[in-house]
Amino acid sequence: MRAAMIYALRHRTAYRYARTVDLASHLLHLKPRPLPGQRVLSAHLTCLPKPDHHTETHDHFGNAATRLFMVAPHTAFEVTAESLVEVDFPPPPPADETWPWEDVAAAGLGAETADFLQPTGYVPLLAEATAFGAPSFPPGRTILKGLLDLNSRIRHEFTFQAGVTSTTTPIAEVLRTRRGVCQDFTQVMLAALRGLGLPARYMSGYVRTRPPAGQARRRGADQSHAWVGAWMGPTDGWVQLDPTNNIVVSDEHVVLAWGRDFSDISPLRGVLLGGGAHRLEVNVDLEPEKVT
Amino acid sequence: MVELFAGGPDEMVSGAGRIRGHWRSLMSVVGSLGRPAMAERGERLARAMADDGVASLLPGAASGGLWRLDPVPLPIMGEEFETLAAGIAQRARLLDAVLADLYGPQELLTGGQLPPSFVFGSPAFLRTARRSSVMPRRPMLHLYAVDLVRRPDGGWAVLQDRTSLCSGLGQLLENRRLLGAAMPEAFRASLPRSISPFFELWQEALIRLAPHGMRDPAVALLSPGTKDPHWFEHVVLSRELGCALVETGDLTMRGGALFLKTLAGLQPLDVVLSRVDAASLDPLDQPEVHAAGGVPGILDAVRHGALTLLNAPGAGLGEAPGLAAFLERLCPHLLGETLMLPSVQTHWLANADSPLPPMPKGHAAWAFRPAGQGAASELMERPATVPSGGLAAIALPPLPVAPSLEGAGLTPSPFVLRMFAVSDGVHWHVLPGGLARVASAATRLTGRLPGGGWCKDVWVPADPSEAIIGPAAQRGPPISIRRVPGAIPSRVADNLFWLGRYVERLDRAARLMRAAISRLRRGALLPRELAEISTLAICLREAQLVDDEAKPSAGSLLALADALERVARPGVRDLQGRIGMLMESVRDRLTADMHATFKQTLRTAEEALDNAPHELPDLARALLPSLRFANAVAGIASENMVRGGARLFLELGRRIERAQAVASEVAVALDGPPARIEAGLRLVLELCDSVITYRSRYLAVLQPAPALDLVLADPSNPRGLAFQLEAIQAALEEVAGKDGPAAEAARLLAQAEAITPKLLAAEDQALEATRHLSPLLRVMAAEIRALSDQVARRYFALLPPARAVGVDVGEAAVLKA
Repeated sequence: MRAAMIYALRHRTAYRYARTVDLASHLLHLKPRPLPGQRVLSAHLTCLPKPDHHTETHDHFGNAATRLFMVAPHTAFEVTAESLVEVDFPPPPPADETWPWEDVAAAGLGAETADFLQPTGYVPLLAEATAFGAPSFPPGRTILKGLLDLNSRIRHEFTFQAGVTSTTTPIAEVLRTRRGVCQDFTQVMLAALRGLGLPARYMSGYVRTRPPAGQARRRGADQSHAWVGAWMGPTDGWVQLDPTNNIVVSDEHVVLAWGRDFSDISPLRGVLLGGGAHRLEVNVDLEPEKVT
Repeated sequence: MVELFAGGPDEMVSGAGRIRGHWRSLMSVVGSLGRPAMAERGERLARAMADDGVASLLPGAASGGLWRLDPVPLPIMGEEFETLAAGIAQRARLLDAVLADLYGPQELLTGGQLPPSFVFGSPAFLRTARRSSVMPRRPMLHLYAVDLVRRPDGGWAVLQDRTSLCSGLGQLLENRRLLGAAMPEAFRASLPRSISPFFELWQEALIRLAPHGMRDPAVALLSPGTKDPHWFEHVVLSRELGCALVETGDLTMRGGALFLKTLAGLQPLDVVLSRVDAASLDPLDQPEVHAAGGVPGILDAVRHGALTLLNAPGAGLGEAPGLAAFLERLCPHLLGETLMLPSVQTHWLANADSPLPPMPKGHAAWAFRPAGQGAASELMERPATVPSGGLAAIALPPLPVAPSLEGAGLTPSPFVLRMFAVSDGVHWHVLPGGLARVASAATRLTGRLPGGGWCKDVWVPADPSEAIIGPAAQRGPPISIRRVPGAIPSRVADNLFWLGRYVERLDRAARLMRAAISRLRRGALLPRELAEISTLAICLREAQLVDDEAKPSAGSLLALADALERVARPGVRDLQGRIGMLMESVRDRLTADMHATFKQTLRTAEEALDNAPHELPDLARALLPSLRFANAVAGIASENMVRGGARLFLELGRRIERAQAVASEVAVALDGPPARIEAGLRLVLELCDSVITYRSRYLAVLQPAPALDLVLADPSNPRGLAFQLEAIQAALEEVAGKDGPAAEAARLLAQAEAITPKLLAAEDQALEATRHLSPLLRVMAAEIRALSDQVARRYFALLPPARAVGVDVGEAAVLKA
């Protein structure tokens, strides 16, 4: 029997502004989402300066969203999210026993999944992306076999390289250069799956900082991470796949939120009045607390 | 073959060729007036439309976005109206229930009543407006409009529902007012039901819908501004509803509530009737909204019930093409009732190969509307591709026709009828009347209401018993008396200030140019006149009306003449254009008469300049209407505008501009050898319109001290410097007390008043004026400019635009060692 992992998560974001910010509003998706397989034992946010007003809500996708409003002039802004999360996502069913992918696509227009088939600004329907995904889904192949194949192909056919892309790099360019970071790979995979009619969602969260003993350090550690949630049909539900590391998510990831693409659930976004140029520092720690 | 624009059901004439009962009194009026009189009424209406400002001064407005009102109204039988009203109210309740579910539990999707991709694929589905289950249910719809046509069986059917902006009510108000003036006989004969009770109900409903049932909420109409094709409607409605007219730039969030930025500080707003698309309202919730373009946090205030925004954000989904295909079934499901007022036959086609049923009998054409595309999306051919939200196929019956004035005669014209309803949270009230749009092959039938077109007023005969029921004598508690000028939004104050400055600048430019032209026209110039022209050329250059090439010399004045045509004429025209824009943006602060007068005189001034041949004498003549316009603004402002408030800033702008111009023009005129001072003095008196006053005081003797006293230090000369500074000081004190800019104005005034004693004490007045006064005036002109900047910065709070920040995933991380 596998043991559940308990992680201590700390995510600190610090802005320093060249000039005074007079008014600021921030939208945060920084609280881990309670899920079957993910228990949030504690979670809190601290920020400096203290906001004049803040609200907590749940968004359309069911994620926790925090809004901060600051009216006092400030030249620095820092937010730290700390939580204790127990993770043990159940393993997916044997790949051979899942539904044929065509049947999954045919069942994908229901209320739970239809939203994750829609083209979005970051993940448009793109013939190249669909064509890229197609070889993983020959007729009759089961959905999970196809998903694992696509996950592995992205890991092997794309080069992980920070600094060549940004959140606004279109997936067409990523498909051409075959370079990028977790978000790029995730969005390429989303576009490929949705192009084939397979519901898939953008998962935002973290991967553990230090790998389990004897394994290589995971790509995308020490920062916000992104991966794919894919639907296997009404019987088998959702499976999480990390194409950046070519793994099925089990106990090395912590989920913050999901949406159609990055813009639905960006961890931290703000609108400022004033401020001039800014410097940004982000630190993420995801360390095992203890093994139960 | 059934046609769309011909052969539709006739509203006036029955199948037996008889005029229907409810048309008879109206048609006997039209008949007794006769053709020439009717044609004249039509022209009168067209003129009134153009004058009263439906046609606005904005560039481009004159070219298409115009409404034309037909003098023949469209009467609807009282009984028929009651049936329609019941159907409209039910539809509004139904759409409200549909929206409440789609932005809440979404049981219609899980239960299979609506295809999920219809909702999720529609760009009108505003995900950020989704409510979690713990939030109290609030109405989604407050205002509802519906476009109607006749079914082949004679009943009315809905061509489209409008649940977001519901435009047309401003036009409807204006139509009723104008038609009352143009066709009084018809009103007497037909007695249409009054529409004012509807607007009174609406006003009460806005108060009733305030957050937490507060008693004296502040209400505002939020407009995208003068660039919106329906700007005029926003002005009319805000006036009718007695609420502030604001733009997103006027608003800010504090402590989770919405505030209006005014000169007196932030003032809370509780209810906002929004004419801004909710999808472009909040850059915090919607990353695709430009950070500078909205109010960050406004949707969060709505979410938490601190602000009532009407219609609720996301309500636009109610007009998604194709929803009509499901309403027949949704009505019993959600309301337990049968749908009374059906849609025209509509099918939702999920994708390109979804089959289209055969055209229903008696219908003319299919119209296709892809999900989520705006007004320009109506297609008469089925498109090859279908967007993710699907495609609506709408069966169009032949449009109903009603008589309209074409030339001198009446022609049956096809139309679409728009009707309106408003809710106070409990009951729906349907406006007894409507807006009929005359349609042709060139008009779109669905999509948003265009900014112009040909329309008819719609009348419902008055119920004889209604006459004795008046509006309630007194509604609500008496409001407190307010006399502070501060409630004016900072943006409006800023616009008024600049309107004042530009109007005065136009006046100055016309005066300078005319003074120059009158001298250029004289053949041989005396040395004195040549000196005057040189001075004028410098003044013109400093006012950026001519360029550096226009330096006159004894040999040639051609360069100056050329520059007046080349630079000054387009410069003045540009100024007129800016004035038109500013005037439009402060329109809600002007009465209809004031606006009409301003606009007519400005238009005359523009046309004079556009039509004048390129000859100097013609240019001089063409500038006269500009002078008249500036005078009209000054006269109307002082006679008709309440002191303080709007007038204060208009005045402040005019006075600051004039003070600065007088100071710098006199400085230029005195800048020369003392021996030539007489020419300068003469010019100064002319430019300050003070020649006659001077003559009456001092006869023909021209000396520096008396002349300069009149234009600089005498506070009783309304064209002089001291008068302007005194007015500036008074205005600034009214805005913000005696400190700051007002104290600076007082200092400048003291400086101006000290000029005369100094000149009188001097041994040689001419020497003193040229050597010391000229530089002093230059400094004063610069200080007046600085004062203007200070005023703008301090009171108009022109904040820099907001911007967005975010963290890139896997990108901006700083790795630890």
